[in-house]
Amino acid sequence: MKLKLMQTTLALVLTSVMSFAQSADEIIANFFENTGGAEAWEALEGTKTKGTFKQQGMEIPVTEIKLKDGRSYTIYNFQGKEIVGQAFDGEVLWGHNFMSMEAEKKDDESTENFKREARDFPYSLFKYKDKGYQVELLGTETVEGAECFKLKLIKKPQLVDGQEVDNISYFYMDTENFVPIVVEQEIKSGEMKGKFIWVTFSDYQEVEGLYFPFAITQGIKDMGANAFTIQSIELNPAVDETIFSFPETTGEEPKDGDGN
Amino acid sequence: MKKIALLILAGIGYTMALAQEPVVLTGDELFGSLKARQIGPALMSGRITDLAGHPTNARIIYAGTAGGGVWKSADGGSTFTSIFDDYAQSIGTIAIDPGNPDQVIWVGTGETWTRNSTSVGDGLYKSVDGGVNWQKVGFAKSERISSIQINPTNSDEVYVGVLGPLWGTSDERGVYKTTDGGQTWERVLAGDNHVGCSDLIMDMHNPQVLYAAFWEFGRTAWGFNSGGDKSALYKSTDGGKTWAKIHNGLPTGKLGRFAIALAPSDSKILYAAVEAEKDKGLYRSDDAGASWEYLNKDFNLVVRPFYFSRIVVDPRNPDVLIKAGLFGSISKDGGKTFKQLGSMHADMHDAWFDINDSDRFYAGTDGGVYRTWDGGSNMEMVNNLPVSQFYHVSVDNAEPYNVYGGLQDNGSWFGPSASPGGIEARDWTSVGYGDGFRVYRHPQKDFVYSEMQGAEGVWRYDIKRNQTRDIKIFPVEGDPKLRFNWNAPLTLSPNNPDRVYIGSQFVHRSDDMGNNWQRISPDLTTNDPAKQKQVESGGISRDNSGAENHCTIFTIAESPLDENIIWVGTDDGNVQLTQNGGQDWQNVTANISGLPKNTWCYHIEASSFNKGTAYAVFDGHTANDPTPYVYKTTDFGRTWKSIVTGDIYGFARNIQEDYVNEDLLFLGTEFGLYITMDGGTHWTKFTNNMPAAAVHYIALQPRTNDLVLATHGRGIIIIDDISPLREINQEVLNKKVHFFASKPFVMYEESGFGGGSNGNQFIGPNPTRNAKIAYYLKRRHTFGKMTMEVRDASGRKIIDLDPLKKRGVNIVTWDYRMPLPKMARGKTFAFSGFTSPRVPAGTYTVVMKKGKEEYQHTIELQYDPGAGIALADRKAQEEMVMKLYNMNQDLAYLVYQIDETIAYANKAQESSPKLKKTSSSLLSSLQELKETLVITTGDNYVGMAEKELREKIGDLYSVVTNNFYKPGNSQYANFAILDKALEEAKTQYSFIKNKELARLEKTASKYNLESMQVDTFEEFLKNYK
Repeated sequence: MKLKLMQTTLALVLTSVMSFAQSADEIIANFFENTGGAEAWEALEGTKTKGTFKQQGMEIPVTEIKLKDGRSYTIYNFQGKEIVGQAFDGEVLWGHNFMSMEAEKKDDESTENFKREARDFPYSLFKYKDKGYQVELLGTETVEGAECFKLKLIKKPQLVDGQEVDNISYFYMDTENFVPIVVEQEIKSGEMKGKFIWVTFSDYQEVEGLYFPFAITQGIKDMGANAFTIQSIELNPAVDETIFSFPETTGEEPKDGDGN
Repeated sequence: MKKIALLILAGIGYTMALAQEPVVLTGDELFGSLKARQIGPALMSGRITDLAGHPTNARIIYAGTAGGGVWKSADGGSTFTSIFDDYAQSIGTIAIDPGNPDQVIWVGTGETWTRNSTSVGDGLYKSVDGGVNWQKVGFAKSERISSIQINPTNSDEVYVGVLGPLWGTSDERGVYKTTDGGQTWERVLAGDNHVGCSDLIMDMHNPQVLYAAFWEFGRTAWGFNSGGDKSALYKSTDGGKTWAKIHNGLPTGKLGRFAIALAPSDSKILYAAVEAEKDKGLYRSDDAGASWEYLNKDFNLVVRPFYFSRIVVDPRNPDVLIKAGLFGSISKDGGKTFKQLGSMHADMHDAWFDINDSDRFYAGTDGGVYRTWDGGSNMEMVNNLPVSQFYHVSVDNAEPYNVYGGLQDNGSWFGPSASPGGIEARDWTSVGYGDGFRVYRHPQKDFVYSEMQGAEGVWRYDIKRNQTRDIKIFPVEGDPKLRFNWNAPLTLSPNNPDRVYIGSQFVHRSDDMGNNWQRISPDLTTNDPAKQKQVESGGISRDNSGAENHCTIFTIAESPLDENIIWVGTDDGNVQLTQNGGQDWQNVTANISGLPKNTWCYHIEASSFNKGTAYAVFDGHTANDPTPYVYKTTDFGRTWKSIVTGDIYGFARNIQEDYVNEDLLFLGTEFGLYITMDGGTHWTKFTNNMPAAAVHYIALQPRTNDLVLATHGRGIIIIDDISPLREINQEVLNKKVHFFASKPFVMYEESGFGGGSNGNQFIGPNPTRNAKIAYYLKRRHTFGKMTMEVRDASGRKIIDLDPLKKRGVNIVTWDYRMPLPKMARGKTFAFSGFTSPRVPAGTYTVVMKKGKEEYQHTIELQYDPGAGIALADRKAQEEMVMKLYNMNQDLAYLVYQIDETIAYANKAQESSPKLKKTSSSLLSSLQELKETLVITTGDNYVGMAEKELREKIGDLYSVVTNNFYKPGNSQYANFAILDKALEEAKTQYSFIKNKELARLEKTASKYNLESMQVDTFEEFLKNYK
């Protein structure tokens, strides 16, 4: 299998990627194969990621838990205090208000949109057909100086101001190794609508046989970006089941999912 | 892991195989983080050529522009976003597929309002995803597409009206049809060499019915013709198979351009504005074109048909129609009478009615998009369309420097390259009327030179006194009529600050800022009388605006190395040189091989490296020649070498030589910016946030090394600091990593106040003031760890930075700041703790680790020399900042210890009731102390509690940190109070710890409870989040 992969890759590289013969599904299959294998990804039940998010000169420690069943939990640390940025228990999307530091439910539209993508773990491209998504190969394009396959992922529509709008993102997969190095998506609401979110991935490193990007930046295309640097990823973490749910009592200190 | 290793191995093999080949990178692979900065402005906006809307969603509007591409609004015209950056920016028409309006959009490029300065298109484009991605689907040589009509019941059936080239003959004109969504096309109605389809409409109630207007027209560089025997109006009732002229009731004789419109609510009602030798004006048909009734010849209906042939009928009321025109007018009685629309920019080209409410419509003008809420009585400008059309740009040497330039129909302006809060409309200053062209700042005085079309006004504006002096030239005894180009060459001397030049057919020089002029040349043009009959220009409708003036000087360049060397280029193809300040002139045109005769010399760049070296750029597009022509001479014009390669797309207008590396050149073409780093052997298109806009002029700011582009449709675009490009060569391109040298970075100390625009107003982004760490990566870094940190001169780590990993040029910025201090944990946040100290000026080392390899690069930081702060004062400030920084962290550690002690006491209480008394006492003491140190109640907003020691230290810390002055007496006094309070708190905790905690620990040991363990201060700093 490894030999086969090498031959495939060499052929691709040495022919300067005459790669239109690649179908979208082959590219996606290669991506998961090269990063650990589809079976290993399938077996993954959840991740707990610890890292640092940089914004406006601040380094904000972040812990993010994502589970296969769609539940997720993200907390930020400021000055020794923890703020739930966003949590989802399958039904309710919530987070802490920065001013009051109390938990508040997100609006219906945000919750519905989140719910529609809750099964995107570990990647939206993973078994995308099972989720009712579609993928098209648009060709190759150079991004970040690297030649990439450009894949168009069409997911379930999102709600914007009460109207259903297309939910399309573009994955730029490095033609040398098939991993995504950029994902792009149009912003559909707010002051930045019409512009594109531009997310880059690098520093892919192995964690128990699976490769994850340990450096991610997110920003508006052709404008500034914020960096998320990952320190550790724990696979199939043991988690406190209660952390995902909206806390009904006020003033409760958030849990970091570490049990500390 | 092995899989990845194999992949990397494969990559290495590939690299080795190519090791001997020269590295030639595309712009996408090379320019990396070098990005264009589009600063607009949008306050005067630019020419809008076409408007279109979504058939069922009133929020979605599209605007096509003369040189700025296609813009989309999803909020009913409040804000617009560019959706067509990568393609020809001159737009003829936009069509939304009525059968699939969310997805399918067609764009025909090439403006059809055929003024002298109009740009060119290069085909028909289609998007099937709402404008995100585009594909060219044909008509590459059409130059101008006037119309696209889509069958509402069959998205694959589309008709395209091709107007065709303006400047020459072509048989790619007429009406074309596809039945397969654009894969194949059939011409269903042919035009002629000079006759194209200027308008095509479909009856949406019966898609087999089409109306097509054909126009006989053409331009030369010196004249324009509208009209002839072949202009006509046709109708087809069988989907384009057969066509019949429908002129019953229309004027006879030679005809010019038609504007036609069909009432959407009544297929029998048609309107046509007809350019004719007699009985020109508005006609109406109530029988679907079988006959026409002559209604009206109001000025606004017949003025300049080549510019205003557009009629738009209210979708609900067939008697309400808008006619584009100098001012635009509306009829509410079926065309019998018209009323001028409310005040807006002159020269209206199109309108779009809201699909739900006819009181609301949009108008496209030479000065942007306007919208009305009351049927056109009041027009309100859209303030965020930066499609301004500059002809020229220059810069001064102020800090920040200003940019100067003139615009099509929008005067002359200057504005800053940076401004607090971003570059807003209010930052721009008007310095000229009419059409603006070349604008310069006096190199030493507060004067600005500007001009209007044909040098009808040439001004010297005194900024300080707000006074204007017209310094235009008048003929003197013996002068023939002076011929000035529409865009007359006004320029300054690089050697003599008070010297000004302007060109007619002669070179005129003033050495006293335009007060007095001297003619220093004979007629340097071909002076061809056949090209000087502008009074006859226009065809059926006389049009002698001055825009076609010809046989004029267009570019003048005094050598920066010798004031006596002056180069001149003329619009009729001459290149002339004097080496003695104008006493003798030599025509060197014949020495240029491969250049068609009489090709417009658009720009001459006198080299700053060698007196005999110059670059000449020629533009043949007004002779229907799209070839770029760029020549270099190194021997005063005796010989010339073409430096054009096949890399360049589109005709060229301007070239800028770098001041440091003579092989680094920047070329402005009709479709964007090209850069060569090897003297023209290879050219690379620059596309990073740089639209494919026509670059009319380029300036290079010598202090900042910013490249400043005058685009004719996307405003001023700046590429900040191009100095890394000076180092690019084969050696660098073959290195794995190369750090680019940088000048010392100035840590500017400016107020952050500024910014008053709302979200609907365009704000030009500022350049970064941060340190820029620029490096080249041979390959994109994707696998493995890559880090970057900054160390001070002693090798101590200051901060981690996030390295960029692109192939090509990467620029990482650093704001000169350290990490935030660790702040004590309280109930709420101390906002003052979100402030970082700035490092002192000095030398710092950037350490980049990429896998197992380490690279180092040194940078120099300087204090702001303009701040007027003494070094000793800065050191006093820095000293207090660091003391307060450390106090914040000391307090954080103290509170951490208290919290740990509280946790220990609570644990003791839980472990045995016998420990309750001792631990309760301890808890009480700790709680009492903690409440004096941090806030323990309230929230982060108005529910905030009284400030405690953390907030007090933080407040002083943030104020002193964000100043760069020596702290004042109250700050020193306050510092002493806080320092004392902190020391007392530490003492108090030590006391509690040594007495009460020790007592508890001693007792607790009897119950198998270990003594309290806390992190050391160093461990705390590492572990505390």
